[in-house]
Amino acid sequence: MKTMFDLNKIDSNGGTMELDINPQTKQEVKNALEVRNLNFFYGSFQGLKDINLDIEEGKVTAFIGPSGCGKSTLLRALNRMYDLYPGQRAEGEINFYGHNILSPGEDLNLLRSRIGMVFQKPTPFPMSIYENIAFGVRLYEKLSRSEMDERVEWALNKAALWSEAKDKLNHSGLSLSGGQQQRLCIARGVAVKPSVILLDEPTSALDPISTGKIEELINELKHEYTIAIVTHNMQQAARVSDYTAYMYLGSLIEYGKTDEIFIKPKRKETEDYITGRFG
Amino acid sequence: MSQVFNVNKAVFARRKRTNKIGLALSMCAMLLGMIFLIWILAILFIKGFSAINLNMFTASTPAPGSEGGGLANAIVGSLMLIASCTLISTPVGVLAGIYLSEYGDRSRVAGVTRFVTDIMLSAPSIVIGLFVYALVVAQVKHFSGWAGTVALALIAIPVVVRTTENMIRLVPGSLREAAYALGTPKWKVAFKITLRAAQSGIMTGILLSLARVSGETAPLLFTALSNQFFSTNMNAPMANLPVVIFQFAMSPYDNWVDLAWGGALLITIAVLGLNILARLVFREKVQG
Amino acid sequence: MSDKHLSSQFDADLNSLSSRLLEMGGLVESQISTAMRGFTQMDVDTCTVVIENEKLVNDLEVQIDLACTELIARRQPIARDLRLVMAVSKAITNLERAGDEAERVAKRTRRLIESGGAHNINTAEIRLSGQMAISLLRRSLDAFARLDTVAAAEVVQEDRHIDEEFRGFVRKLISYMTEDPHTITAGLDMLTIAKAIERIGDHAKNIAEFVIYVAKGADVRHIPHEDLVREANKP
Repeated sequence: MKTMFDLNKIDSNGGTMELDINPQTKQEVKNALEVRNLNFFYGSFQGLKDINLDIEEGKVTAFIGPSGCGKSTLLRALNRMYDLYPGQRAEGEINFYGHNILSPGEDLNLLRSRIGMVFQKPTPFPMSIYENIAFGVRLYEKLSRSEMDERVEWALNKAALWSEAKDKLNHSGLSLSGGQQQRLCIARGVAVKPSVILLDEPTSALDPISTGKIEELINELKHEYTIAIVTHNMQQAARVSDYTAYMYLGSLIEYGKTDEIFIKPKRKETEDYITGRFG
Repeated sequence: MSQVFNVNKAVFARRKRTNKIGLALSMCAMLLGMIFLIWILAILFIKGFSAINLNMFTASTPAPGSEGGGLANAIVGSLMLIASCTLISTPVGVLAGIYLSEYGDRSRVAGVTRFVTDIMLSAPSIVIGLFVYALVVAQVKHFSGWAGTVALALIAIPVVVRTTENMIRLVPGSLREAAYALGTPKWKVAFKITLRAAQSGIMTGILLSLARVSGETAPLLFTALSNQFFSTNMNAPMANLPVVIFQFAMSPYDNWVDLAWGGALLITIAVLGLNILARLVFREKVQG
Repeated sequence: MSDKHLSSQFDADLNSLSSRLLEMGGLVESQISTAMRGFTQMDVDTCTVVIENEKLVNDLEVQIDLACTELIARRQPIARDLRLVMAVSKAITNLERAGDEAERVAKRTRRLIESGGAHNINTAEIRLSGQMAISLLRRSLDAFARLDTVAAAEVVQEDRHIDEEFRGFVRKLISYMTEDPHTITAGLDMLTIAKAIERIGDHAKNIAEFVIYVAKGADVRHIPHEDLVREANKP
């Protein structure tokens, strides 16, 4: 079980290396998603240029960059949300545990139940809190009433909303506060037990306390899920993510461990952006 | 500081004056409209109230020259026509509205449908009545309640389609996206999420369509006509309030005229009631 | 992209931090110079000046440290800005200790003068290494101002010379003291002074290492010299 403080040792090159206690049991890095040569077009405008990126399983990967850099476009390509809009198309490969999700004839609904998404604006369905969560589960699973009750409680617990919601499961989802609604949306996404959760600026519309609660949530969820988050708040990326990808004008400028990017980024463009030096 | 204030004082005074004039003009316009509305309601109440009694609801329309009588057959007939019209127009209208907003957004079929719907919304109801006459009544060679239903449905459907489409469009795209992001298939998004989100608005549309058709006279003249006797046979001519009012209002018989006013008042109360209900339903959703 | 932050206040704060560091460095430099002059000329008054001014050095350390803390609290600096603030915070500690060493030189010199036993020992090495130490400190601060890693690497290299001078002087001192035990008291004071200068050289070396850290992001403390040079010369 990895602890927060990994043993580090400065090697002769001035870099760091993890202390290899048991060289034989070295964990293999597994990627939940591998993006290869991804190009994306809004009509004739190219939104993403030759993106190559790995999203490691069980880690939080953040996409940062100025407005219009393509980070949301990239995120939404991962669960093929763009398919809802004619005129938007993607070329290249996105391998989800080895399976290319950009292949024609892909079952998009099934894909989206495996790769979930939470949006910037909290969007509870016009139904009770219980139904909000049961809705997604019922799409692909047949559960008895008591099993469903358990699943709802489990999901609300995961989203740190159970104590606040357990007495009003029959109330409309819209009766919750903004921060609670967003946590309901997260519970909804978690309830269907996807492999990957995509978060598109999940706290942009929330106050600092709700934001803090959700960041804490992300920290707990990442042990069981792979998470990708788009955020325009760099400090948030620094706080929650393990890996950070900096994008600019549709290209991936730099990708690496968050600690490295925020202490010593490899590219000057990255450093200029994160330190607030915009020419 | 006071110098600045003084210079603005003149401007402020002028603006205040302009504001007052504008306010006065709009109040006058509003009063003008209100006066006529109140006048109509007043006359209806004054003339029609005396006719409203238990008898009106239990006795059928009187024969020419005979005393007393009521509007029972007309009331029942109207209710049946409106009910059957609603049973047809609601599903057709709502489904068409869903199609236009969710599925056929940019297709040619959708464009044509919208165009036709808009025309039908403002089509003269007498034309619709004549159309159904030629299509149905002339074919079977007799008037009927079903023909009346068809005519009313043709008037109600465009209203429901338009309202449904507009209300569904008001549902934010983010809600749909959230449903898709769970892996919801398109039809479920349309029916279980979007429709539900728009349901009070759609209800309002249906209520408004009801209000619209309850007062239509011309189409019924050519289709259901009327019936002197109490009848629930939809295959035969059917008594209904608007046509009965038409018949009775300018007749020489006093009891007929009284009943006409009573019927007019009844229709007005019904339409007013439906409108108010529609508003309440919508407001409850917005607040809830 | 320019080197300026979107927030000009942030730029001003960082620049102010750097210049205050250099100002403190200048003060410490002059303290060492004055102490060395006091030693060379065996003048009590000169030494007293150094001892009295030591307080100024300490005050500067406290003030600049506060400024670093405030900048971190307000701006949450990252990447090179963070490295700069961390480096400044550490460098002022080195400067303050160098200031302490200068005071130590002054105090021991004063003792030497009062006990009157300095004149028979040749102090050429001390005077020489004193000059070298001052030069090294000046050059390390210069390298910091320009974030010149090549110059910084040279400073790290040349600190060795001071260390060699010190070892040479210790050997000489031992032979003096064994020949004539009467010189032991003065000899020990001399040893302290020589050691103080050697330490000043080390502090200058540390500051130079920070220059490489800020500019290249590599922590070059405690690594072999060839590797340090390689990091310093990376583009």
